[in-house]
Amino acid sequence: MFEILNKQLVADNVKRLDIYAPNISQKVRPGQFVSIAPEEGDERIPLSVVDSDPQKGTISIIFQEVGQTTGKLGTLPINECIFSILGPLGVPSQIERRGNVICIATGIGIAKVLPICRALREAGNKVIGIIGARSKKDLLLEPQMRLSCDKIHIATEDGSHEQKGLATDIFEKVLADKKIHFVYAVGSVDMMKMVCALTRKSRIKTVVQLNPIMVDCMGMCGSCRVKVAGEMVFACTDGPEFDGHKVDFENFKKRKKAIEECDECHNQKLPLRSRKKGSGILTKLFSGFLKE
Amino acid sequence: MHIDIPAFIRLLREGKLTAAYQKIKEKNVLPSICGRICTAKCEVNCVLNSEKAPIAIRALEGYVSDFGRSKFFKKTPQDLTGKQVAIVGAGPAGLAAAAELARKGYRPTIFEALNKPGGVLRYGVPDFRVSKKVLDAEINEIQALGIEIITNFYVGQTATIEDLFERGFAAVLLTSGAGIPRLLDIPGINCGGVYYGEEFLMRVNLMKGGIFSRYIPTFHIGNKVAVVGSGNTALDCARSAVRFGKDVTLIFRRTEDEMRVRSQEREYGKEEGVTLEPLVRPVEVLANKENMVKGLKCIRMDYADTKGNGRWEIMPVPHSEFILEVDTVIIAIGHQPNSYIVKSMKELKLNSDKTLSVDEKTLMTSSKGVFAAGNVVTSAGPVIDAIVGGKKVAQNIDEYLKG
Repeated sequence: MFEILNKQLVADNVKRLDIYAPNISQKVRPGQFVSIAPEEGDERIPLSVVDSDPQKGTISIIFQEVGQTTGKLGTLPINECIFSILGPLGVPSQIERRGNVICIATGIGIAKVLPICRALREAGNKVIGIIGARSKKDLLLEPQMRLSCDKIHIATEDGSHEQKGLATDIFEKVLADKKIHFVYAVGSVDMMKMVCALTRKSRIKTVVQLNPIMVDCMGMCGSCRVKVAGEMVFACTDGPEFDGHKVDFENFKKRKKAIEECDECHNQKLPLRSRKKGSGILTKLFSGFLKE
Repeated sequence: MHIDIPAFIRLLREGKLTAAYQKIKEKNVLPSICGRICTAKCEVNCVLNSEKAPIAIRALEGYVSDFGRSKFFKKTPQDLTGKQVAIVGAGPAGLAAAAELARKGYRPTIFEALNKPGGVLRYGVPDFRVSKKVLDAEINEIQALGIEIITNFYVGQTATIEDLFERGFAAVLLTSGAGIPRLLDIPGINCGGVYYGEEFLMRVNLMKGGIFSRYIPTFHIGNKVAVVGSGNTALDCARSAVRFGKDVTLIFRRTEDEMRVRSQEREYGKEEGVTLEPLVRPVEVLANKENMVKGLKCIRMDYADTKGNGRWEIMPVPHSEFILEVDTVIIAIGHQPNSYIVKSMKELKLNSDKTLSVDEKTLMTSSKGVFAAGNVVTSAGPVIDAIVGGKKVAQNIDEYLKG
């Protein structure tokens, strides 16, 4: 049903899939995500939609192979069908004409910020993009970002490409130079926290995109709960975008870290049969057989 | 339900299992589910209660639906009205309404957001209470009536209700259920290892595939589990966790007899090794350095007459705090109705408790042609209430479409 039409290796361990999903491609707007289960019985993972083509009926997703499910998704070949895709989920981002806008993203967050950059630019904003990664080979979507931003700053931690340093350093400089009206940040929790701390003084509206653990992505499990403005909300139905100045980052970071760490140690204990190669043909055959 | 019970029992006594099954099936489209998890109000109200024990209709229904099911499903010819009805949510209420509509000659289409139909029966109720095989058989039989089930379709996001009307549906029925967890606000609730009952059951239910299930638990469960709550969800969580070989304690603030579960299920739970701790309320979740659960601080409760006016209320016992050493906490203290659909359609009105407001007589919401039934209207209730609600709303939709 959801056929993979194209597959591309974007960077180290980062893959891009173009999937045929006509219903979703017509409705999806920047800032929304889909929930994917690659095979039956897998857990569902939320992945943001990078691009969509309503005429062809495709959506594109970019993801990093970190866990079991993303690993499995990465092994699916072209023309294979994905078991389940649900979407578009989440509240679409509010795109308005605001003036000078900074879009700052690090790591896999660059994939999430790309559709937002495009939309903001289309709405008549002057978009300044700041992207950062560990090294040159981890930096994704550089050409696309160059095309969709008016000005771009690139930072790598080891200095292998463009400027050496952190994305937040450049952000600080740009913030001091220019009058900025709006900031959009996606990436690691530390980065988003720092950006919000910097903009809080000058009261620039800052929107962050959070990426907590989700299970069903429809607000039915409560796994993605975050504290925003002292209230518990679900990132899947009320987010994933929130006002950065109101998010309780400490709480969010603690929860995310604890879950990830315990997942990691859990993953290591078990034999990862299907981590790289997908499930074996024999197992697949038998499980299909005996399920009936 | 208005099942003809005397006739059903008479057929059963004569040994005509299939005929008895058909008798039940006339009125109840999900007999094997009801035979397992029904709250059996009929047994509570049975006239024989005063003498000895009620007639075990639930057990009889379960037996008949297991052994009286005919292998071949006979399709009854119907005269189609040519009108399409969209049903949102393939839970018990949606399935019951769809079957009823199909019998009346409509062609209902069910839109389900998750990847398989069944709703709470598949993703909430664990395998040991309703096995997935039984559920699949029931759903197949309903589907054979001429119902289309579209999965992976989230009405409200993938298409709005207006879009459905544009696609040619004459009426829309909302049966999205009550699957939103009620949140507990105590310190430390956000640390790792604290799950809500819905998340836990969904994860357990999602990952089991078949016999050769490539079953790798994708989430962390500690060796000592505390489940908070006294309802069916809490007991299901506790019994599922026991099946993982964990040490499970069920804590709740009422007494054992006040639990909102059938006493039979409670006894099963006890036999399986769930430790019950009645009259206890959690106060704080204690976390260790890595921010994982280390313990649960609780306080004992008891009935007290603090105001001295003769009304005994459950109050905390002073200085009775104690620490329960657990490494996973599951919270199952109740549900809220799933009314996210309102976000995409502002015309729908909500009550103060987040349920959809419907006209009591017609069961129509504030928007024309949009009906609602099941737990999204009643906020909470057993499966049987949802089935009855679905049947009732199907008749109303029929009347509405005929004008």
